[in-house]
Amino acid sequence: MSRQLQRKLFIAAFLVPTFLFFSVFVLYPVAKGAHISLFDWSGSSEHMTYVGLDNFKEIVRDPIVWKAIGNDYFLVLGKTIGIVLLATFFAVAVTRLRIRGASFFRIAFFIPNIISIVVIGVLWRFVYNPSIGFLNSFLSLFAAEPVNRPWLGEEGTALWSILWPSIWAGIGFYFLLLVAAIMGIPASLYEAAEIDGAKQGRQFWTITLPLVWEQVKVSVLHIVMTTLNGSFVMVLLMTEGGPDNSTQVLGSYLYQMGFRQFHMGYAAALGVVILIVSLLTTLVLQRLLRRDTVEYS
Amino acid sequence: MLNQPSRALKAVAFLILSVWAAAVLYPLLWTFLSALKDNPQFLTNKPWALPETPLLWKHFTYVWQTYNFGSYFMNSVLVTVVSSIAAIVLSASTAYVFSRFEFRGSRLLYVAYLSAMMIPLILGLIPLFFLLDDFGLINKLGGLAIVYTAWAIPFGVFVLGGFFKSLPKELEEAAYIDGAGYFRTFFQIMLPMAKSGLVTVTIVNALNNWNEYIMGTVFINDPTQYTLPVGIAIMQAEMQYRTEWGPLFAGLLISMAPVLLMYMFFQRQIVSGLTAGAIK
Amino acid sequence: MEIRKTLGTVLTLALILVLAACGGGGKEKQTASGGDTPSSSNASPASPDASPVTPAESSDAQLEGDFEIQYFVGGYGDAWWKDVIAQFQELHPNLKIKQSAGPKINEQMKPRWIQGSPPDVVYIDGAGSNPRQMIEDDQLLDLSDWIGQATNVDGEKILDVMIAQPEQYGGKTYNIPLVFGSYGTFYDKALFAKNGWEAPSTYEEFLTLSEKIKAAGISPYIHTGVYPDYILGGFLYPAIISANGDDGQILQDMGDMKEGVFASEPVMKALNQLAETGSKGFIDQGAPALNHTDSQMLFLQRKAAMIPNGLWLESEMKNDAPADFEYGFVPSVTQSAGGKYVALPYTSTMAVAKKAKNPEAAKAFIQFIFTKQASLNWAEKTGALMNVKVDLESSSAGETAKNAMKYYSSDNTLVAPVVVFNADVFKVMCDATVALSVNKITPEQWAERVEAAAAKARK
Repeated sequence: MSRQLQRKLFIAAFLVPTFLFFSVFVLYPVAKGAHISLFDWSGSSEHMTYVGLDNFKEIVRDPIVWKAIGNDYFLVLGKTIGIVLLATFFAVAVTRLRIRGASFFRIAFFIPNIISIVVIGVLWRFVYNPSIGFLNSFLSLFAAEPVNRPWLGEEGTALWSILWPSIWAGIGFYFLLLVAAIMGIPASLYEAAEIDGAKQGRQFWTITLPLVWEQVKVSVLHIVMTTLNGSFVMVLLMTEGGPDNSTQVLGSYLYQMGFRQFHMGYAAALGVVILIVSLLTTLVLQRLLRRDTVEYS
Repeated sequence: MLNQPSRALKAVAFLILSVWAAAVLYPLLWTFLSALKDNPQFLTNKPWALPETPLLWKHFTYVWQTYNFGSYFMNSVLVTVVSSIAAIVLSASTAYVFSRFEFRGSRLLYVAYLSAMMIPLILGLIPLFFLLDDFGLINKLGGLAIVYTAWAIPFGVFVLGGFFKSLPKELEEAAYIDGAGYFRTFFQIMLPMAKSGLVTVTIVNALNNWNEYIMGTVFINDPTQYTLPVGIAIMQAEMQYRTEWGPLFAGLLISMAPVLLMYMFFQRQIVSGLTAGAIK
Repeated sequence: MEIRKTLGTVLTLALILVLAACGGGGKEKQTASGGDTPSSSNASPASPDASPVTPAESSDAQLEGDFEIQYFVGGYGDAWWKDVIAQFQELHPNLKIKQSAGPKINEQMKPRWIQGSPPDVVYIDGAGSNPRQMIEDDQLLDLSDWIGQATNVDGEKILDVMIAQPEQYGGKTYNIPLVFGSYGTFYDKALFAKNGWEAPSTYEEFLTLSEKIKAAGISPYIHTGVYPDYILGGFLYPAIISANGDDGQILQDMGDMKEGVFASEPVMKALNQLAETGSKGFIDQGAPALNHTDSQMLFLQRKAAMIPNGLWLESEMKNDAPADFEYGFVPSVTQSAGGKYVALPYTSTMAVAKKAKNPEAAKAFIQFIFTKQASLNWAEKTGALMNVKVDLESSSAGETAKNAMKYYSSDNTLVAPVVVFNADVFKVMCDATVALSVNKITPEQWAERVEAAAAKARK
């Protein structure tokens, strides 16, 4: 067998099964789903009416869609900054700062990732409960009269109140990823730096950050993508998009339109919009994050 | 060590870490305490109050008897293990090809996989149901495993593609010169080097599939085939209608316990697995 | 409108009379003809050209084949269903009955409906179900002709034994109300007695009372902001009907999305009442953030004095109320002096799939369950009311349900028609109502928003 043929065989053997699987169970259903966006369909009827691009025209005119996109980006930005900063800080703390109890923290911080989303929802609703919640009870300790703020019920605070649990629940995995990355940095690099008299701060900027940049990049991209298409679960659990659509994100609005208001065609169109928004965002982000990755091997 | 981090820095860091640890551990404690309370205690006492004696351990026995956790658990293990393994095999092979071989359309194909990561699942949910139905895979754990596998491929290709690319080429080239074929080179040299990437992807996939319940609810409608999250979702819905808070939390704890224990036992291996390929 | 005093004990029977006399339904006082001559008369005014059907046949004949029942399991549990289905099975041993049930059944069965292989008979309730939508999707069998004459297995005409009459969609009947509930305002009698408060009988009294409650440091009025159905059913709709001179037709017009109805004078008056209640600070500040469990919990803890809710409240929260809690109920708090109480019924319905493979069995099943015995059984198993009149006094139905009956049996209470809204209009109405209750928007803006949504839905 010639080398050329071997190569072709290898490529085919490694690509084709995956691609077949992927096409049949992901691409095909999604293409079919996207096709629904060209129809007026309730989502439960046997009949559909072809309406061309009407659903998309409607989307452009729908003020809730624009609000939802704004909210999506608020969460993307808030989660990315919050998670990356905290996860990096925690990771550095348990590895480079040689803090006591580091292995305990390592176990503990991952726990929200294994807690069922149901518990997270119930729990945080209790935190925010206006009259018996933790937060108001706690704030009341420092205030002249009891605090009764409906955190999830006021348009000014509702989205912020969704952001915290999202960060809280999301941090564990990225933390672990960064811990592993930092532990993978050869110790000799740090020893050399210390001999040169570099303080912790400088070590972080000159060694740690450049060497884990690849993982930070992956984390950011992953957070952005999962937020754009998964943050709606938290929204549904906490506020159902209310009050008055102020916490609606594209995903929750899709759910609302498709399953509560019976416009599956419109919901499918929203799904296509989510896909486009995610693609554009990731594309832009990848350009922004392009920075030479330092290799140390 | 010449240059210890300053005491102040360590103290502040320790404080912040402790606060965060409290924030993530307290919910577990709260869930546990709530599982031992009856409704009046749960609703009228302060949220942080301890349960009154006698402790209501019967909530645990009640849910254990009412819901088939044993069978949900086995179903979940089966689906998660099968789909995680299948996904890693399928995505590692493709990712490797993308990272080392250029051919016509390879770029396009790669982008197709990447874009698929951003597809909202809900878009394909209903067509997928009919597809599975055509194959006779509705109400079958196998059907669920297949779907989980397929939907996990893009993420694997994304992470592992980057991973293989960052591995040095010299070893492969040396292997080729020694006369090793493509297959042998991949399995004997590249795969072991990619261990940390494989571990990362497997953990993420396993966690996702272990917790997935939207597809589970729609594709499985037979109580004997329920996975854990589907069982929990059903239990939660039923208990909220009956406002049985204590048993609900007991059930949630029972469902969480195996994963929690597993994580505690294997946490070292997981972290070292994540780092393994990176050193040296 | 003469109600026999002696009916005080047979409360539900009285209820029917009131409903028939005051409510929208016009099929009262038809003496039940025996089950043996079902097609002898042109009984149903709704379907004068009814082609004769013979329900007696289907209930007597042995049924065979597959038969699938879909039912949502929520607050009422599934004990009643399992029981009646077992009885039905005994009656028809050759029927292969399949039960598709659970709290997520609406999602789980959805693909089957799309596919055109639905179950035979369906109980429509719970999240993700909307009978109006199922009818628009052409999924339900038109039962107008059949129900006009159908008798139950005891030989009584089904329409005659029902408390609330079926909703009408374009003059046709597709679904039959199985569960009967009603919205209203709840309070704790013990708390009221302790403070010397009186349940309000007019809007003026409601305001004065709220002032007192507020002064006592309790929230006068709390509601479920996340699901505004409650404040709509317990406050706004009754207010609209009161403002419309106790004529429930306006609600029907709203359901039919008649142009201008959402900006009409009665609606504006009701909206102003809600805005006023809000601006005076009587509505609990936290309400917009609360789901039903949260708000009910706070109410039971006496952090708030009144709550719009449904008759199912007591059984839903039976594990949660403090020992000395005593449920009090008024149908509405928005009527002016001299006006009637307005009670808003809430029903969950049964329907036969248009593509049912065994419609005979489906109909026979409906005939089997719309009986007094099944109704009593329902009350005992769920503590709530089934939509078949029966003497509940000796049953274990909740105190609330029994108390509420006193209002229904009074000629000072008007029972509004059952209206199911278009889902889009309803969503906008919900959002706008919460916004109005915190005075974020004005009544005019409310009307503008909902009119716009209705205009869009009419297209």
